Amino acid sequence: MDALTRIETELRSRLGPAVQGLSSPQPGRLFVDVERRALRPAAKALIDLGARYMVGIGWDEIARNGTIGLAHTFAFDADHVAVVLRAAAPAGDPSFESITPDIPSAGWSEREYQDLLGLTFTGHPKPKRLVLADDWPAGVYPLRKEVPYNLEPPAAEDVAYRLDEAPPGTTVVPIGPFHLSLHEPEHFAVYVDGETIKGCDYRGFMTHRGIEKLCQTQVSYNEVPFVAERICGICGSVHACCYSQAVEAAAGLKISRRAEYIRTIMLEIERLHSHLLWLGIAGHLIGFDTVFMQAWRVREKVMWLAERITGNRKTYGMIVIGGVRRDITPEIRAGIEDVLAALEKEVLELKRAIIGDSAIHRRTKGVGYLSKEEAVRWSLVGPVARARGLRLDVRKDHPYAAYDDMAFDVPVADSGDVWGTLVVRVLEIFESISILRQALAGMPAGPLLIEAPEALPPLRHGLSMVEAPRGESVHYVITGEENRPERWRVRAPTYPNLQAVPQMLLDNQFADFPIILGQIDPCFSCTDRVAVIDAGSGRRRILGRTELEALSRGPEAGRSRS
Amino acid sequence: MLAKIARKCFPRSLWVYHCNSGACNGCDIEILNILTPYYDVERFGIKLVGSPRHADVMLLSGAVTRPTLPLVRKAYAAMPGPKLVFGVGSCAAGGGCWFDTYNVSGGGAKAVPVDYIIPGCPPRPEAIIFGVALALGLVDKKAAPVEMKQVEFPIDMYERNKAWEERNVIYKVLNT
Repeated sequence: MDALTRIETELRSRLGPAVQGLSSPQPGRLFVDVERRALRPAAKALIDLGARYMVGIGWDEIARNGTIGLAHTFAFDADHVAVVLRAAAPAGDPSFESITPDIPSAGWSEREYQDLLGLTFTGHPKPKRLVLADDWPAGVYPLRKEVPYNLEPPAAEDVAYRLDEAPPGTTVVPIGPFHLSLHEPEHFAVYVDGETIKGCDYRGFMTHRGIEKLCQTQVSYNEVPFVAERICGICGSVHACCYSQAVEAAAGLKISRRAEYIRTIMLEIERLHSHLLWLGIAGHLIGFDTVFMQAWRVREKVMWLAERITGNRKTYGMIVIGGVRRDITPEIRAGIEDVLAALEKEVLELKRAIIGDSAIHRRTKGVGYLSKEEAVRWSLVGPVARARGLRLDVRKDHPYAAYDDMAFDVPVADSGDVWGTLVVRVLEIFESISILRQALAGMPAGPLLIEAPEALPPLRHGLSMVEAPRGESVHYVITGEENRPERWRVRAPTYPNLQAVPQMLLDNQFADFPIILGQIDPCFSCTDRVAVIDAGSGRRRILGRTELEALSRGPEAGRSRS
Repeated sequence: MLAKIARKCFPRSLWVYHCNSGACNGCDIEILNILTPYYDVERFGIKLVGSPRHADVMLLSGAVTRPTLPLVRKAYAAMPGPKLVFGVGSCAAGGGCWFDTYNVSGGGAKAVPVDYIIPGCPPRPEAIIFGVALALGLVDKKAAPVEMKQVEFPIDMYERNKAWEERNVIYKVLNT
């Protein structure tokens, strides 16, 4: 019995007639329509079968049939299957039963749609605002169709975010929105007892730029990849590739093999530069600036290479729906091979220096520990999960582009701490170099772009996953009627990983906060793409470091012991 | 003129505060990149500092989002005068491709007075260094008037492709 049949039988036997429809339009994808009341039991059934929660997607269909849709996506990595559970609620009563009590990593997805679509989730353990600012007027849901994309409500005074109740006897240390260890505006409130972290509340989504709404209302299919690249300046072509694949899957397009190889090359070049970047930043965060300088010096070669291939150091603009825009010519191929040879030598030296360095060992071993079971519970992805002994890699589990032709290892560490993520990332650099060599050697001839039909079929659903340097990116596309996606949902790897950071911080030293957060290689701009933020707490505290006085919220909670 | 004033106001090392008001990280890593061995701005005395209270210059990257608008203003107010603000990248210049969405207020000028703009998406590290050096009067301006450059567009592909030209109003204006 293959995996699809097994999942189908299990769902039908558990839910009976609540399963309204079941289809598998693309290989390895199962779309299940369930009744609204059956969403939670269905999600529970999938988790019991061993699924990993990916992301929730909400969309507005009020104008079409008076409902708001909600989908939860799950991955069966060992079976190479992804399942989409879809349900709909009438616009007059847009409530669902929360699945967060069963699946903690669904918490943010549900809070996001509470903000953006006005859905309500009964039984959600923390139904606070996530994406929209606290001074955003109630009742205005930006992802609903009737709300124009450029409606910007005026700021309101005196609306502050209510931090979580601090554990008794702790002091609150605000970090951010602008802070040395965060290169993006985000706000963490860390509850400390002396030097030990006892808890953390996160108020982020300050770089929410409304990209999903923008692309659903203003631009056309083939302009979206360029906006998608600007979701994140580091893993831009991951987003462009993932979006293109989702549209291709929804519309049933098959691109040429050569284009798939070129996509693979671009994604691996991006991984090379991103991992070297992370290595440098990690060194910087633990106060070892030599690593920062050396890693970035080595990385510069990759940037020049990217410029030679695409004309830009970042935001390559290579990947569009139907293929790629530029070819890898024989001259460029020789250039790539030279760079790879030089890079391999230098990274090897860097690796030797890092692996044996006792300062790095002491700052990273046992820091930010999370067990394998917790990692499964929080649906961690990418190097953060692989450092916890989970062999998760979309390139192996759900092959895309040309990865089915590549032979490579997935480095896994079981130390469960920052050291593990460092080792995994360093080893992945060598795997990337090997994949690049294989891709260059095995690249078949063929066209770069295929002719797409004049209009793509509307209202088809497509799901695509790509292994970004930080983990799995998920894009969900519903094709639309006006030459643009009806709904486009982006989930970056930081989205699930960041939800587990409060767990990782528990009982660690406050001084390790930057590197514990840094181990997930946080990319807030990816995570926040659609959303807004907290002016309240931010307005009070701009400089975490220089204003380390206790953030006292009341005589009983604000007692300082330090 | 401004360069002269800048030279007078900032005669010694320049301490720079990097403020990300909602960027995609592209400009931010290029700003970090100028510290690293290939570009090494510290040889010009330019140093990145962690607090606006220590800074002479603010490098503003990214579109100013609705929630960060008051925060950027507050960071600017914390800087001691005389101070300069550089908008790095297209987003800081005018808001970028999402300049008018529901959560973006616009370019850096919406929040603070931006003195110089370094264009690019993201600008190259060389461009950032050049921009700062230009503002300080360390180098001369190398830009030619825009219309001269446009008329002498050297790629004849565009000349052949009349349809392309007709779609672009600027060429129509220049050719008549």
